[in-house]
Amino acid sequence: MAELNANFVTKTVLPRVLKATVWGTFTFVMVYYLPLMLIPQGLPQNILPFDYATQLIQFAAIAVFFAVVGQLFSGTIIGCGFGIARALVIIAYFFAVSDGGVFSVTLPVTEVTVNLTVDIRILLLMIVSVNLFDIAKNLLEAIALLTEKSTDIDLT
Amino acid sequence: MKIAIRMLSIATIILWIVIILFSVTAVYSVMNLGINLGEVQMLPSSKGITFSFPFSITNNGYYELADLNLTTRVTDSTGTVLDLTETFVPSIPRGTNVNATHTFPIDLDAILSMDQVPLLLNDSSFNVEFFAGLDFARAVPVQISTNATIPWGAPFAHFSVGRISVFPHNSTHGEASIPVSFENHAILDITGTLKLEFYTNSDEQIASGMTTISVAPQQSYSDRILVYTRQQDISKLTGSGNMHMIFETPVFTVEWWEPYG
Repeated sequence: MAELNANFVTKTVLPRVLKATVWGTFTFVMVYYLPLMLIPQGLPQNILPFDYATQLIQFAAIAVFFAVVGQLFSGTIIGCGFGIARALVIIAYFFAVSDGGVFSVTLPVTEVTVNLTVDIRILLLMIVSVNLFDIAKNLLEAIALLTEKSTDIDLT
Repeated sequence: MKIAIRMLSIATIILWIVIILFSVTAVYSVMNLGINLGEVQMLPSSKGITFSFPFSITNNGYYELADLNLTTRVTDSTGTVLDLTETFVPSIPRGTNVNATHTFPIDLDAILSMDQVPLLLNDSSFNVEFFAGLDFARAVPVQISTNATIPWGAPFAHFSVGRISVFPHNSTHGEASIPVSFENHAILDITGTLKLEFYTNSDEQIASGMTTISVAPQQSYSDRILVYTRQQDISKLTGSGNMHMIFETPVFTVEWWEPYG
């Protein structure tokens, strides 16, 4: 029994943990360090209308969490559930951060106040669409997994 | 089922790549926009004052800037719209530079015909609202708005009429000397004829006179204007009544009433 458990750990759990670690690190680099590198160094914080560093770390935390759990539970119903949850969280996150797709900020420029409005609803629509595709994909994966299990014949 | 899942995966990856590419290139394009704003110039024109706002936009990004629209709305201190002007640039393709000037005239005749006599006599201010809008890559509309206050100098600031002195002129008429003073706070020369008409409280005209004035900006005017009246009306002139001021220039005519006595 102990041998079976050790076998399960080395053959199933360990590779998944390793894979999850690699994916988590890769995701962190892609969603945090890479965008941070794109923003020019020495840019005063008050030029951008929002605290981009905080929002970037929030998004990175969400992305890394779902990348790790997605890899840990890949090929399972729970993994599909996390995939759907990730898509919904990303949709909600972008809606919340962008105020429904219309950024509106007030910037003090010398003696006058400038109101800036940026309408990124098209970009938000694209993000929603891609996440809806993701939800559909995860649902189909879940259905496929359940179908495989229900049609498996246990001959033992 | 597996083919459908794979297709959805591919579609998702492609869409994420498109979103990321667009976002990165859009940020890069915005950072490479060269916007130069010139100084706002206030120039006297034949009809009043013209504000000129030169600007240039150099689009070194990846995307076109479309439907650039600059709008200014000038209102007086009571909110009355004095001017609404729009400057439209249909397109700024990538790699091009556009120089334009947004000009909005303030038609003095129009202002004065709107019963804006307080603007003649008292310093005030105009509120200028400025709107700018454009479509970035024909996908992301951007709008900027701001407002500023422009001081207005009254051309007849601190207008005052002094004590009227009456002297006999001939056997039938008397001569009245009226000290008039004001300061020209406007940016324009006040050059024209100033006509004075004196009325009793029962609206009977008793005297009139005219003088030519020319006052440079930020200069004071102080002089005596002579009017003539009949002998029997001299006592009415030294009493109280209303004075009708008519100032005429080749461009505009303004008139207002001042009590005297």
